[in-house]
Amino acid sequence: MGWYVRSLGARKVMEFVVLVVFVIFFLGPLLNLLLLAVSGKWQYPAALPQSWSLEWWQFVLTQDDVLESISLSFLIAAVVTICSIIVCIPAAYAFARIAFPFSRWFLFSFLLTHAFPKMGLYVSIAVLFYKFGLMNTFVGIVLIHMVNTLMYMTWIPSSAFRSVHRAQEESARDAGAGPLRVFWKITLPMAFPGIMVASIFTFLASLDEAQGTLLVSIPDFKTMPIIMYSIIADYPSTTGAVFSVILTLPTIILLLAARRFVSADVLAGGFQVK
Amino acid sequence: MSHSVKRGMLGLALVIPSFLILFVVVILPILYAVQESLIDQNSGEFGLGNYIRMFTEPAMRTNIIYTLNVTLVSTVIALLVSYALAVYLRFGKGWMARWINRLYFIPMFVPGVIATYGLITLYSNHGWMARLLLLIGIDTFPKIIYSYSGLLLANLWFNIPFATMLLSSALAAVPNSVVESARDAGASSLQLFFRFILPLSYKTMWVALTFIFMGIIGSFTAPFLIGANSPQVLGVAMQQVFSNYQETHTASAMAVFMFLLCSVMGYFYIRTMGQDLDKQS
Repeated sequence: MGWYVRSLGARKVMEFVVLVVFVIFFLGPLLNLLLLAVSGKWQYPAALPQSWSLEWWQFVLTQDDVLESISLSFLIAAVVTICSIIVCIPAAYAFARIAFPFSRWFLFSFLLTHAFPKMGLYVSIAVLFYKFGLMNTFVGIVLIHMVNTLMYMTWIPSSAFRSVHRAQEESARDAGAGPLRVFWKITLPMAFPGIMVASIFTFLASLDEAQGTLLVSIPDFKTMPIIMYSIIADYPSTTGAVFSVILTLPTIILLLAARRFVSADVLAGGFQVK
Repeated sequence: MSHSVKRGMLGLALVIPSFLILFVVVILPILYAVQESLIDQNSGEFGLGNYIRMFTEPAMRTNIIYTLNVTLVSTVIALLVSYALAVYLRFGKGWMARWINRLYFIPMFVPGVIATYGLITLYSNHGWMARLLLLIGIDTFPKIIYSYSGLLLANLWFNIPFATMLLSSALAAVPNSVVESARDAGASSLQLFFRFILPLSYKTMWVALTFIFMGIIGSFTAPFLIGANSPQVLGVAMQQVFSNYQETHTASAMAVFMFLLCSVMGYFYIRTMGQDLDKQS
């Protein structure tokens, strides 16, 4: 062993230790859930399940409210994403390209969505919704989900628009294209990765949202995370693990599908004005 | 109407829809919470009674100090680890760096409830970690879940990937030429870091700090599922005051207090970013 380590060099060994710690720390919890989800019997102190089984999958997937919650969650997430795009993309473009009064105030006001503790915000929203008759309505849920998405949907695309070179837009204008045409043909395609990443963020944030939904959706709208809370409380841990895998699946699929667009630069640009 | 006025109107028109939604779901509720917090829970009079009680009641004071402690310690550790990871990813060349580069995004997108649930199953008393350690002969496992360290672990799990993402994007912008010429001039790794890399990524560090701080101080899901019963972090204490005791005014005061702490961070963030915008225009 010793000669092998020396031949690799201390640096490589260090790197390997970093990788192992990284994988255990960040992926360990997820891997554990995955194992638990396909285990039949896994009692202390066995390091691996004593028997494998998919019976809990059958149980979970035949519960009516589980299936309903999946389709409801996806419907809500899709509506939230579309609404956020329609409402926020114009603003993102304006912040990046147009000088208008108080633009900086407007831009930074979106930070408020993250500065006020979520729980407190949701409680106040619930009181307001009660007054406006928005409790237990689809519109109410979409609105409360948008609390989390407004900032991403404005800031990330705005930074994407800002990074499109003006020279390219101007040369298209010089060639005789109208402003709308330039936007459709030049600006929008170049800012597309940013918009895509922000949309994924938005979709997943909506899929994941539990606290706000719990407050305003009772009793008619049961989304996946809300079912998850009751499953954690009422069923054996295997059921929770199965449901966790089902809930995480869309995330993994979306991330794999959009891997091309998700980069540190695009995301990071949204959090700092450069 | 002059051209610039027209452009200005167009800009406002494009921003108004999203701002209206922001106004309804964020600004109005905040104003409402501030108003609620100023009505004394006991006497019903207008004043600072809730705030005074918050800082004088021993249990609540313990909670505040505990929250600040958890938040600051988690933020600092998350930032240090993220910096180390980002530097490694920037200069590491092998397959291991490539794999970490691919994997570190995942936690950012995993639903909070599920990650917390995974952490609980992994680190609980008879959890997988304890069983794996048993394999190599370690049969004492510290209490992690339902304690300070469990909370710390959860905060690190949620925030390191995000901060690493921000910082590695900033480090990608550090030109190779700067690094190489510093190396040629005989700078050690530490010198290189403190003289070149840190100053060049200092602003991004502030951004990371702001968002980590804001994310942790008001967090609810992870501390609710993982944290100890007492002392509690403010996010959980606030929820309990609200739903178990129905003390809306006290809960609002706690929310506003956390908001004020975040505002301090937000102020510095906006000031730094504003300078950048000034330079641009």
